[in-house]
Amino acid sequence: MVPRPIARIRNFSIIAHIDHGKSTLADRLLELTGTVSPRELTEQMLDTLDLERERGITIKAQAVRMLYRSREGLEYELNLIDTPGHVDFAYEVSRALAAGEGAVLVVDATQGIEAQTLANVYKALEQGLEIVPVVNKIDLPQAEPELVRAEIERVIGIPAAQSILASAKTGEGVDLVLEAIVHQLPPPSGDPEAPLRALIFDCKYDPYRGVVVYVRVRDGRLRVGTQIRMMATQGTYTVDEVGTFRPQMTVTEELSAGEVGYLIASIRNVRDSKVGDTITELSRPAPEPLPGYRQVSPMVWAGLFPVDSDEYQSLKEALERLQLNDTALTFQPETSVALGFGFRCGFLGLLHMEIVQERLEREFQLSLITTAPSVAYRVRLRGGRALEVDNPDQLPDPGSIESIEEPRVKVEIVVPKQHLGSVMDLCQERRGEFQQLEYQSPGEGTVLHYEMPLGEIIHDFYDQLKSRSRGYASMDYTLSGYRPEQLVKLDVLVAGTRVDALSIIVHREQAGRQGRRLAERLRQVIPRQLFEVPIQAAVGGKVIARETVPALRKDVLAKCYGGDITRKRKLLEKQREGKQRMKRVGSVEIPQEAFMAVLSLER
Amino acid sequence: MSAEAVAGPPRSLYLHLPFCARRCPYCDFAILVGGESLREPYVAAVLRELDSLSPAARRGAPLRSLYLGGGTPSLLPPPLLERLLVAVRQRFGLAPGAEVTLEANPEGITPGLVRDWLSLGINRLSLGVQSLDDPTLRWLGRNHDAAAAEAALATARAAGVGNLSCDLIFAVPSRPASSFGASLSRLLCFQPEHVSCYELTVEPGTELGRDVARRRRPAPSEGDFLEQRRLAREMLAQAGLRRYEISNYARPGHESRHNLNYWQGGAYLAAGCGAHGLLDRDSALALGWELAPETVGVRYWNLRAASTYVARVRSEGQGRRGWEPITAAQHRLELLACGLRLGRGTRLGGAAQLARARQLSALGLIRLRGDRAVATERGQEVLDRVTLELAAAG
Repeated sequence: MVPRPIARIRNFSIIAHIDHGKSTLADRLLELTGTVSPRELTEQMLDTLDLERERGITIKAQAVRMLYRSREGLEYELNLIDTPGHVDFAYEVSRALAAGEGAVLVVDATQGIEAQTLANVYKALEQGLEIVPVVNKIDLPQAEPELVRAEIERVIGIPAAQSILASAKTGEGVDLVLEAIVHQLPPPSGDPEAPLRALIFDCKYDPYRGVVVYVRVRDGRLRVGTQIRMMATQGTYTVDEVGTFRPQMTVTEELSAGEVGYLIASIRNVRDSKVGDTITELSRPAPEPLPGYRQVSPMVWAGLFPVDSDEYQSLKEALERLQLNDTALTFQPETSVALGFGFRCGFLGLLHMEIVQERLEREFQLSLITTAPSVAYRVRLRGGRALEVDNPDQLPDPGSIESIEEPRVKVEIVVPKQHLGSVMDLCQERRGEFQQLEYQSPGEGTVLHYEMPLGEIIHDFYDQLKSRSRGYASMDYTLSGYRPEQLVKLDVLVAGTRVDALSIIVHREQAGRQGRRLAERLRQVIPRQLFEVPIQAAVGGKVIARETVPALRKDVLAKCYGGDITRKRKLLEKQREGKQRMKRVGSVEIPQEAFMAVLSLER
Repeated sequence: MSAEAVAGPPRSLYLHLPFCARRCPYCDFAILVGGESLREPYVAAVLRELDSLSPAARRGAPLRSLYLGGGTPSLLPPPLLERLLVAVRQRFGLAPGAEVTLEANPEGITPGLVRDWLSLGINRLSLGVQSLDDPTLRWLGRNHDAAAAEAALATARAAGVGNLSCDLIFAVPSRPASSFGASLSRLLCFQPEHVSCYELTVEPGTELGRDVARRRRPAPSEGDFLEQRRLAREMLAQAGLRRYEISNYARPGHESRHNLNYWQGGAYLAAGCGAHGLLDRDSALALGWELAPETVGVRYWNLRAASTYVARVRSEGQGRRGWEPITAAQHRLELLACGLRLGRGTRLGGAAQLARARQLSALGLIRLRGDRAVATERGQEVLDRVTLELAAAG
């Protein structure tokens, strides 16, 4: 096989907001280039997990190689590197972008640009990528393609006329996208003879072959037998196989500068192949790694407990299995008086947490109780010792604490003018500090910049943002640092017994309000029992709010003859099962929703 | 009686007679309004179904109770009732002193009719009085008024009904406890041997259920239930009627033998549309069921609509809609649920259940006498939850 000249390769990503049509466009590109036949094309080819397809989001990056004959008759190799589509995966997005020379920006003709899209476009521009803007969904009656073109020009600075009008659904304009990729995006640069430098932009675990590493070769060549070294983790391996995605993994002789593909090298654990790391040759190492690598660490923690304590071992195994493919997921055993044995898990963000939870329930048939998510606080003790606390229950005694620092984030919110007020109110309630407001003149959009505690946005901030802006606002955030605050632990006592899994850390000034809301919410979700159940919220042993679940007054059927007896038995059998899903604290049965009640304090 | 298996052979028979003059707004039973032309064919179908059940009859074990329920069985002309009773005697036999109950509505009861019933061997009348308060009867949409009900009571007594049971409904919205109390004291003038007091239950799918769902009528209140239930217990106790089940009161010795058999897990036969029967293992085998070794009994139930029931019996000799094998564990659960409703309570089994019972006892919900649990007044008010607690620990 004659190696393809580097000038005929194009490596690119697609940047789009959820639902703006990234997957559909990717499907059309695969179809039009004959990479998959229309028959093989299950909708949204690139999103392989069921969950991704259902939610219309991409969780893991994917890559696919297409061959395209341009209008002047030249054949090009196009490598599409898919990017995860959510704020939780910002770092992964930046590495996927770094694997290409350009990006196709997809904007919904009925929606305009959203905050995350903007953040990703800026990431791409910072890395010197060329952008091909595409205004999608022009077939919809409410489409405003010219307005969106103008918005792209205003916000990103690409002349309106350059934005391609397309409908990935009908196929209109998709050929123009391919031509633009070929003609507007630069070919890769790089020297096949220089020492090897390959960027890891993703990896996955294959039960039969070990870790499959997704790479973009910048310089040099990768082939079977190459002795490689991971420049950040220092691991060394011998390459067993290299290949490309067409879209199935297909063995090739080598991957050289400019190419995108995979390698297999008897790597046991995905943790040994870190996204963003640079692969070099052991015998002829590159002097410098590629820029941009950082260690990814969880931002949000929550306890995951099996409803049925017999499922602890299954939960452990399931988490281990998920971790094979998810470097960002961390977990360690946790014990709760209320919930028994489980795991404290670390996630990149709330969506990541929801995805892991859903996969555990769906793919491993586990029933779980998840506690309210928490961030990691830096606690300085009297006497100088410092520790990180990601579980509110483990906050040391207030008397021993010198100070508590909480993580803060810079939040960028794109919101139409008419909802600006209510969104600013929301940020204010969540202890946000106003930084800046930009008007996207002459349009209706504004970009709000706030700095606020991460702990305030991991609960239902996003939902609130959406509901207070009728769905129009969108947001992006990045960690900005830590700051000491007056933080206290809010405990909950049910029938006099402290429920460890319900403790949360809140700002001292908000403790009263939060405590009242939490007690009120718990009163609503804890069903009546055979006796009265007091619910108390307390800070440092001082009760600040109290509610009561009154005792059940009547629960008995008038008649029990013939057919009633069978019905009664079947009901008992069902209720007995339902009871097993409840957690017992002292003598009180608490349903699972209660442990997430903290999440919906605003409602 | 062993708690492990359904006790047989069946010594009780339930016959369902669905005919009614009208449907009451709160009723969700298998009934048929009118249907005069179906009465003969229906009785014929029941006789055929009895034929199909006769292999379960055992020599030397005649029925101890027969219950003609409905519907309004009193609407059936005496000759048709006679055919049923003759058939039952031929196929199963009635033991000396057997309890033979007929359900009747107050309207249309005459001395002649009552005498006919008595001469057929019916010795217990269950009268659907429901209330002796006219506004309550109107609210319930009943066909009779208080005067008619009192006349029926007097007629039954005068004609010599020695075992009289009356149904009452309480906690009717917008009617105060005092009117229920007045109703009850007027009823007690007739010195009934047995009274069933049911709180008004709103069943989905009934006219009342729809009215309540659409807020056209108020739902019964828990407060009314609690107040009037306690009132009923006190007044009936004073008149010498003891509560022997959640909703049933009787003079000692006049407890319903038929119903007690249900609640104590004994086998019983049933025929007619919508009827449910419970067979012990041997009877089920005799009737041709093939059973797994762990099956300790069989529950079967018939088609609900009278016309489809009749058609099915004609073509297949029986009118079953379904059946299920009962395991020992299921039987225990049924015994627990029914037994806790009884004044005498029920036996508990296992350390976990006894431990939970001690907690419930500390809460004042049950009294423990050895391994026997008896629900207290407060325990009875929330008995379904108490049962669940014990069932979950069993």
